[in-house]
Amino acid sequence: MKTILLAPLDPVHDNAIKLLKRKLDEAGYNAISMPPGTTPEEVIQKSLTEKPEVILVSRTLGYKVAEILSQLLDLAEASGVRDTTRIGIGGMAITKEAGAELGFDGCFVGELKMNEVIDFIENRVPSVELTGKSNQLRIKPDITAGYTYKFYDPIIEELLERITSQTLAWVKDKTTIGIERAKIRTELLECEKEGNSHNQLLDKYISLCDPEIQNFYKYHTLPDGVRWLGQSEINRVSDLFNVPHPDFNSLRHTEKKPLFFSQYGTGCPIMDVYHIKVSEAWGIDGVFHFDPSWNAQKEGLLEGHLTHEYDGTILTLENLQFIHHFMEPYTLWNVRGHRGLNTPETQVLGHAAGADLFKINIPYGSTAGGTDPQRLTVDGIYSLMLAAQYGIPFDIPGNDELSGVPPYKTFAGILIMMALGLKLGARPIPKPLLCYSPYMTINGLMDDNMIDMNVAKLAVWRDIVDTPIWPGEPVGFMTHTSDRVQSALQTSLHASLAATMDVDAVTIASSDEAYSKGPISVQARVDTLRAVRDQLRFQGSIKTTLSPAAESIKDEIHEKITETLSIIADRDDFVASIYEGLIGSQEDGLYPGRIGAGTVNG
Amino acid sequence: MKKALDSVVDAIDIETFLYCKSESEGKELAEKLTQELNLPHGDIVFLEFKAWGARVRIRSYIHHPGDHYRWLETEGN
Repeated sequence: MKTILLAPLDPVHDNAIKLLKRKLDEAGYNAISMPPGTTPEEVIQKSLTEKPEVILVSRTLGYKVAEILSQLLDLAEASGVRDTTRIGIGGMAITKEAGAELGFDGCFVGELKMNEVIDFIENRVPSVELTGKSNQLRIKPDITAGYTYKFYDPIIEELLERITSQTLAWVKDKTTIGIERAKIRTELLECEKEGNSHNQLLDKYISLCDPEIQNFYKYHTLPDGVRWLGQSEINRVSDLFNVPHPDFNSLRHTEKKPLFFSQYGTGCPIMDVYHIKVSEAWGIDGVFHFDPSWNAQKEGLLEGHLTHEYDGTILTLENLQFIHHFMEPYTLWNVRGHRGLNTPETQVLGHAAGADLFKINIPYGSTAGGTDPQRLTVDGIYSLMLAAQYGIPFDIPGNDELSGVPPYKTFAGILIMMALGLKLGARPIPKPLLCYSPYMTINGLMDDNMIDMNVAKLAVWRDIVDTPIWPGEPVGFMTHTSDRVQSALQTSLHASLAATMDVDAVTIASSDEAYSKGPISVQARVDTLRAVRDQLRFQGSIKTTLSPAAESIKDEIHEKITETLSIIADRDDFVASIYEGLIGSQEDGLYPGRIGAGTVNG
Repeated sequence: MKKALDSVVDAIDIETFLYCKSESEGKELAEKLTQELNLPHGDIVFLEFKAWGARVRIRSYIHHPGDHYRWLETEGN
């Protein structure tokens, strides 16, 4: 058994030494610790009697640090201790550079990493930076695993049955050029896989696109501000990121969930890769692909590695594959197709590129998302069928609340999407929005606190259906300001509140959430990840119980969801319900979308 | 040899506290600071004035998405 002498060369601080002793004892070493205020002479004296293999000293105070440590090393040389014993140093007053300059054999800075200490004791080449939890193999989880989707509320279940039966009957035999393109794209991918010629198919695809997209295929003209990525740029990204790296710890402290997600979509696939890799390094579990809105408003998608300087990264198979290639094996990847004219094809490309999750929400996409309700209902239901066929779960963001819609109407829409998905064999994930929405502000529902309403919005789902819950999108929406400290704090408070409610995943923003004059910076992503990590450390496995006020809000939301679904079921026309504002009206701040109006066939 | 500035992935943020007597003076000073530091496309991300001065964060994008990133270039290239 190796003997390790632990000495705090500090008048009062010896916490690190005590912690080190416990960990070294557990690891099977004979660790001898000395009291605070030990002098260099006493350390050497003890070394001569105990003959340790290694001495580890700590120093917290900066006062006279160089003088005391030099004295220790001089005495170790003079006494012959240095001939047989290696000496390491750590503590707040120490930097790597100072430790090396003074002549220590090892120097430990920052958080205690036992693998580094043991490597030093064993005189081994340092292993990659591992701490506790990261030694466990991180796997890509299935958010929907273990949920039965059993409805606990039979009235809501019956209403959803009526609404979805009517909707599926309405959509039967209807199609759109978006669906036709998705079918052609599927065939094109098959042809490419088998190495067959596909010129005729491509011509057919092009004929179903808007003129600007047709010009891209026919004359290689790029939309304004878009450029091709060069091969050398693409190759260089591989040089940067296809290299070994330390394990990345998850943000979670003690719990297995929630998973944490953030969005990317800087406009450039290379910058996206960098942002994703940084987010992974700081603990993210999953990411979303954000495409530009113009991309969604045109019939047809482009091809190739394309970049531009605007928000949202252009959705092409090549861009998706490129970005996905650099993700960690455990990173979950969501390709969103919740609005626009390319929703079905987005699922096809997402699946081909390796997506783990889709995002589909017809009521949201056909109001706040700007797409015509008829068009998105037909496209959206086809997309749900694709999600079922591919076995890829889809999430349903409740971001229509941001326009001023009360949560019960948004939740009614989410429930309809869930029921449609379940009927078609897909696995839905509702995403109640934790936010300070216009509805809350106008009605003073968060005047006292932001907890009761938000926990009620999560808890109500547990009373209705056995489902995973994923608050988003991102949490804390409309609480953030451009003050990075305030923004990161609000994100961490909302994220941790959700974690105490046992949710399955949480979408978080960067601290640039409220800054609109430029792209999100990479350091702004780190801000919130860092804040959430500490907040989770702070609260551990604490759970939230609902206050009487929260219980009352929850019951009211539940009741009003039932009322809303009842009105929609009686209307007997889901699409008309969206046009007529039953899931969110003009008074609420929602207007039916217009993009793609009049394009449904059949 | 590469400049350190070339290694800035996207943006530089500078946080400081400015002695000033009003929010507008703080803004003027923050804008002047970006010029004095030769920061391209400087912008005030955040400014909070209270009584004795302004807490401020200014930002300059060294690389915008879609640019040719100098951190992506190899040495001598």
